[in-house]
Amino acid sequence: MPLVVIGLSYRSAPVTLRERFAFAEARVPEALRQLRDSGAADEAVIVSTCNRVEIYAVSSLEPPGAFAALRDFLINSHDYREPLRDEIYSLSEPQSVHHLFKVASGLDSMVLGETEILGQLKKAYDVALQGGHTAGRLNKAFQRAFNVAKHIRTETNIQRGSVSVGSVAVELAEKIFNRLSERDVMVIGAGDTSEKAARALLSRGARSIIVTNRSHDKAVLLAQELGGRAVQFEDWAREFLNVDIVISSTSAPHYILDRAKLEPLMKSRRNRPLLLIDIAVPRDIEPEVNFMPNIFLYNIDDLQAIADAYLTQRKEEVVRCEQIIREKAQALLGPQAVPQPAREARPAFGGR
Amino acid sequence: MLAVILYGLSMLYSVFLWRKGFRRDDHVNYFVLLMAFGLHTTAMVLRGFRLNHCPVTNLYEATTFAMWSIVAVCLVVGLWPRLRFLGAFASPILFGVGVFALMPNLDPLELTRTARPELSPAWTSVHAALMALSYGAFGLSSIAAVMYLTQEHNLKLHKLQAIFSVLPPIQRLEVVVARLLLSGFILLTVGLAIGAYDLTYLSNAQAYRGDPKIVWSALVWLIYLGLIVMRWKFAQGGRRFALGAIGSFAFVLLTFWGINVLSPLHNP
Repeated sequence: MPLVVIGLSYRSAPVTLRERFAFAEARVPEALRQLRDSGAADEAVIVSTCNRVEIYAVSSLEPPGAFAALRDFLINSHDYREPLRDEIYSLSEPQSVHHLFKVASGLDSMVLGETEILGQLKKAYDVALQGGHTAGRLNKAFQRAFNVAKHIRTETNIQRGSVSVGSVAVELAEKIFNRLSERDVMVIGAGDTSEKAARALLSRGARSIIVTNRSHDKAVLLAQELGGRAVQFEDWAREFLNVDIVISSTSAPHYILDRAKLEPLMKSRRNRPLLLIDIAVPRDIEPEVNFMPNIFLYNIDDLQAIADAYLTQRKEEVVRCEQIIREKAQALLGPQAVPQPAREARPAFGGR
Repeated sequence: MLAVILYGLSMLYSVFLWRKGFRRDDHVNYFVLLMAFGLHTTAMVLRGFRLNHCPVTNLYEATTFAMWSIVAVCLVVGLWPRLRFLGAFASPILFGVGVFALMPNLDPLELTRTARPELSPAWTSVHAALMALSYGAFGLSSIAAVMYLTQEHNLKLHKLQAIFSVLPPIQRLEVVVARLLLSGFILLTVGLAIGAYDLTYLSNAQAYRGDPKIVWSALVWLIYLGLIVMRWKFAQGGRRFALGAIGSFAFVLLTFWGINVLSPLHNP
């Protein structure tokens, strides 16, 4: 009995449709039971994330029959009555196995190479396993998928580097400072991107966070969310002596940090290194300060350029990853499996 | 000779690593240096047994001993993956100094050990060994300083290489430079003190007060003291400190041979 996949992802369907087909976490065990009771599948795993809803199944039916039954289950269980074109795709072996390996490795993710999907896949498999909805075929395929993901992570650069502005900020800090756990962060201006960057730094162990904003109430709110401390906007220079990383994102029309302000402050800081991240447009920090000793200034374009470079590097690794996936899929399926260079998703029986 | 050839190979490989942006873990260079170190150690041990004393009594021996200490520290430090590239930065200096040490005039065997029979052989050996070790530490601190400047330059200019490389953070590199420099300074101070004590064995010790090597050594000691005071007392760390470490060692490297030639005490 072959492994088949049916589902929809960000590649095939917009979020408005994906959310209609999503399975709430608590509903998955019951859905699995109904799916098996319907006779559409002997073994099944349901993966439901913000970017994909997929059913991995092993069925005693021939693939065309299995696809039809799984599609009906998917549509009926969400009471979906509107017409569909090719948003739902279906795959049979060996493409289904390739697809599973690609999903586990983050090759089919919106953010190429991301690792969150592996955790989500493991959780989905665990729910099915606990409910007794998997057996030899799916167990073997999923275990192998997890191994392939690990292999690809260690043997290629597909997951290397940061592809978001927040994580690039963390990486820069790690290139400058010995230990993030001894570093204090200041956020000037309570913007969304600065909040993400601050969160990323905290998640990697930054010691403390100070938030300052023209509207003190907003600063207090963000400080509470981040577990930090808010200071009055007029007092930020006094706190500046103790911080190592500054993330600035105010809406000020002029520079709030310039060479004249920073020179005496750096002397008071005994010239300790200072990372300035300016994500404001127009910019908050005078570009000249980057020429001062021990100051490293990056603006939003600099961060984005690094993130883009990492993404390009990841894309270059895809060929190597697909080669590994082909080899591993062939090892799992045996010599009868014809290696496929890429997944060829096809619509599951036209529209409805 | 074989060790110097391997240092040369390591240097060539280092150029390759540099061109690649120091992105991957540097096992190949580490093992080349390890092989060179094995040959280097064997050569020094054989020479020590042949001459029946610690091989640190002429310019050739002192130079190779300082090189040996640099490689030893590189290999130990290289056990930490992020500091493994120290060896790649060291190999050009090792190769250059190695070629210099192989020049025939630097190794007049008849002058080893017998040059100043009235000096204490034990104290002379300890003095020479400590001095060579201190120069090794200064050499390594300047190599770490080059790493610091490379990474600092890339970070300042927002080069992608700064992020993609697996070099350590610049703050850690500065700590490495500072600690090596301090270690070298302590070794230099003790070495000079022992050298001064050793001079008391000479009947006409006062005659050597103006010996160029003694004056030069005092100058080197003052330069490094200045660097240390500037960093710890006046917070002149970072780029300036790294440049100071490189400049000071460049001074030692460029004047060491000439001063030895001029010194009647060290080159009788």
